[in-house]
Amino acid sequence: MNGTTGPTGPAEPTGPAGTAGPAGATTTKVRRLGTDSPPSRASKLMQNRWAGLAGLLIALLAPFVNATPYALSVMTSAAIAVMLAAGLNIVVGYCGLLDLGYVAFFAVGAYTSGVLATRFDLPLPATIPAVLVATVIAGIVIGAPTLRLRSDYLAIVTLGFGEIIRITANNLDVTGGPSGIYGIPHLVESPVLFYYLTVVVVSLAVLGAARLGRSRLGRAWRFVREDEDAAEAMGVHTYRVKLAAYIAGAVWGGMAGVLFAAQLSAVSPGSFTFLSSALVLMAVVLGGMGSTPGVVVGAVVISILPEILRDLADYRFFLFGVLLIAFMILRPQGIWPARSKEVP
Amino acid sequence: MTQLVWNGLFVGSFYALVALGYSMVYGIIKLLNFAHGDLYMLGAFAGFAILGAVGGVSSSMALPLLLAVLLATMVATGLAGVALERIAYRPLRRAPRLSLLITAVGASFALEYGMRAVAGADPRVYPVRLGGTSLEILGARLTVQQIVLIGVAVLLMAGLNLLVTRTREGRAMRAIALDPRTSALMGIDVNAVISRTFFIGSALAGAAGVMAGAYYGKIDFMMGFLIGLKAFTAAVIGGIGNIPGTMLGGLLLGLLESFGTFWLGGEWRDVFAFGVLILFLTVRPTGLLGERVTERV
Amino acid sequence: MRATPLKCFTSLAVLGLLVTGCGQGLLGDGGAGQATAEKDEPIVLGMLIPQSGSEAAIGPYMSNAAQLAIDEINAKGGVLGRRLELKTADDACDAQSAAAGANKLVTEGIDVSVGGYCSGATLPTLPIFGKAGIPMIIPAANSQELVDQKLKHVFLINGTGSQQAAAAEKWITKQGSKSVALMHDNTSYSKDIALRTQALLEAPGGAEAVITEAVTPKESDYSANITNVLAKKPDFVYWTGYFQEGGLIARQLRQAGYEDSIMVGDGSVSPKLVEIAGDEAAEGLYATMTQTPDTLQGAEGWIEAYQKKYSSEPGPYSNQAYDAVRLAAEAVTKAGATDGDKVIAALEAIDGFSMFSGPLKFTPEHTLANGGFQILVVKDDKFALQDALK
Repeated sequence: MNGTTGPTGPAEPTGPAGTAGPAGATTTKVRRLGTDSPPSRASKLMQNRWAGLAGLLIALLAPFVNATPYALSVMTSAAIAVMLAAGLNIVVGYCGLLDLGYVAFFAVGAYTSGVLATRFDLPLPATIPAVLVATVIAGIVIGAPTLRLRSDYLAIVTLGFGEIIRITANNLDVTGGPSGIYGIPHLVESPVLFYYLTVVVVSLAVLGAARLGRSRLGRAWRFVREDEDAAEAMGVHTYRVKLAAYIAGAVWGGMAGVLFAAQLSAVSPGSFTFLSSALVLMAVVLGGMGSTPGVVVGAVVISILPEILRDLADYRFFLFGVLLIAFMILRPQGIWPARSKEVP
Repeated sequence: MTQLVWNGLFVGSFYALVALGYSMVYGIIKLLNFAHGDLYMLGAFAGFAILGAVGGVSSSMALPLLLAVLLATMVATGLAGVALERIAYRPLRRAPRLSLLITAVGASFALEYGMRAVAGADPRVYPVRLGGTSLEILGARLTVQQIVLIGVAVLLMAGLNLLVTRTREGRAMRAIALDPRTSALMGIDVNAVISRTFFIGSALAGAAGVMAGAYYGKIDFMMGFLIGLKAFTAAVIGGIGNIPGTMLGGLLLGLLESFGTFWLGGEWRDVFAFGVLILFLTVRPTGLLGERVTERV
Repeated sequence: MRATPLKCFTSLAVLGLLVTGCGQGLLGDGGAGQATAEKDEPIVLGMLIPQSGSEAAIGPYMSNAAQLAIDEINAKGGVLGRRLELKTADDACDAQSAAAGANKLVTEGIDVSVGGYCSGATLPTLPIFGKAGIPMIIPAANSQELVDQKLKHVFLINGTGSQQAAAAEKWITKQGSKSVALMHDNTSYSKDIALRTQALLEAPGGAEAVITEAVTPKESDYSANITNVLAKKPDFVYWTGYFQEGGLIARQLRQAGYEDSIMVGDGSVSPKLVEIAGDEAAEGLYATMTQTPDTLQGAEGWIEAYQKKYSSEPGPYSNQAYDAVRLAAEAVTKAGATDGDKVIAALEAIDGFSMFSGPLKFTPEHTLANGGFQILVVKDDKFALQDALK
């Protein structure tokens, strides 16, 4: 695509062979809600619907297989990870902007809702409007000055913002300093109900992200991802389009933060390190960038794999690393990649 | 004031050494090698193991011995870097670029926790320490050992710069950075050159690891993580892929941290460093010495 | 090609759903965490500790010491005729991992929790153990937030920040120091002690806190912070963080030409600190510390036993983890059962149980009535008692 400073978008599929291979994967039924690129035939739509429904069904039936507190906690975390991945997918997958500090928005959401809930005794749902406002502002503050940067410079700037948010939360008194805030009221008392609530919210979020991806705006995102200069030349206001992606991603991350605060009842800076950002990004890439079912599967894998490996104690993260390498070598395009580019 | 500058330059030269490997690898295959910081850790442990095998030495022999260990470690870490590329990155050469990012993070986990399984989570202490005979120069307090370490770092960096700008090997690297496919057509053995790039970059990180081990004394399996992030930052400040720029970037980051600590206190240091970085990049989006390249349509 | 995503997915889904095995679904017996108190079943203690991530070095110190206590108790016939067993889970010092780990321990049916190191990661586990009726004896985490909620199942056996700060202030005054520099690592434990010491020093007369400097943990070079500190010309430096940074800071302070007193907090009391700082820099270093095996009668063999078993030295919170297990065993013995409420009542009633921190009695807040802090000094590469601060 170009010379020394790197391709336009880091997310762009390299080479013609890059993503064309799995294009034929018309997908049998599998995971959760949503479709990806515009279906050219009704049957495809049906299949994707089925895939989504099947996924939702699995998520809904899972507690009937195993409803121990541990399983519920892991599954709830996985659902929240799915929401985060769906949000980051808008930024990285659709729009091709490499974001290494995505948990900044997660933190903004969790802290805003946690602080409001504990200091002003608001019920969590009442904090949602404030979280919306806060995340949109955060998206603009972080996005506006930086989105003119390209690829890797954008990556380091987002990484920097992620660290700035975490350190600020660690240093301020209103955020409870290093130990964070605690005693956030639960949304619902029963973990099972909370799990179902999370699944419903996350499903809506995933569906919403997928719809957004297929909208007019979504097409503009993809255009920017594939070739920013051409998009600009064709009259797409690339800066505004990128900012929109950023804000959408921020809102998704913030909402996931509310769920996170509700699940754990405590929020501390340790949850928003660079590593967490990297893990969300891994979920997106592992699943298949730009593919809704892909990122859902990716997020589930990234959050459940370390739990499966928990009993290996010392070897847990060693094996996790090795498995990640093996995964990518076997399926470089992701577990469930997006169906190539726009339909010609 | 001079003390602040000196502190910054000393820390910055470590950042620069590690950042060089980052920058070279990025320049040539556009990979953010997240495992690079862990090669620094690997270097520190390799040096530790070699020193342990050599056994006790008199302190008069410490410096020559350390230099020998430094060389041996550079070779060992360099080979580890080559192996890493062969196993985790080469099979993905044609895959989407972010897939490599995942294997890089995976490799980072594997190296860190592999080392934890081998050496334990407890920090280790280097058997040979560079003590401190301190001098006062221009109001700054520094030690002979610091000067030696900076000297070694400068030598390594100058050598690298010569290699990249003056030799056939360097020309091949730059050619691949510009266009791997055409380079291959021109008869460059792309795989071999990439392997050698990894060797050199990793060897430099390994050297920094041994130097840190010998100077600071404490090494542990997570020691590469933070410095990896810092090195990445330094590489970007300087203009990623650009060797002199990267060195400047490392030094600049060291200075930023030193002055940030002085002005705002330790807890806001990173906020200051990243804040300046962000402002700087919005004004000059290609880094210090990076060239503005029109991205081709 | 076509089937691969499906295969990947199915295998993962199956694995995922069966994380802890079947038969525990909503329609199943639902018997989560109800340990049946049969004679031949072991009494299970659960321990959440960091085994991965930035604090991973601490985990083994705690679990090793806990296992040591369990082996000793089992060798004497166990508790109520039942064996003790330790289950550990990784909290990675991260809230979400900690919650998952706590839930895992609850699911595995632990009777008493004896873990908790990072305050930020321990806070979300309080309601999880609370709901399951499991008493928590927290060996390391000691931030005020843990007891602020007045939860009846939460007991802290680490000296609190204010007790340690009081001891530090006492010693600083006794030394006749005038200007004190406080250094912490910006984690809740360390910052808490530093700020409380600073507050105590604000009283008129005596020493004055000239600077409170935060460092970033896990780095190697603290010269920038040290330049800051020395610019204020202190005659006493108090480091309240852990030994890894503590060793480096002591060494770099000396290298920078600082010659007056250095003191470290209890998280830094480890032979490793001396090793990292080097003999010269460590000599004469003070520490605020609860009683150690060296200074406690009847516990002389403890370090040897630990070394023999793990061929390494005990580290920060080994003492407390060891005591947490012993205390749990004592409480279960007194209660005569593993029932949560009875154990909690037994814990509240304990008076004078001998621990490293001295005879134990809980305050109504469930913290130690007496922190038992004293001053140690490094002499010939070892920490030795300097002043009992009686």
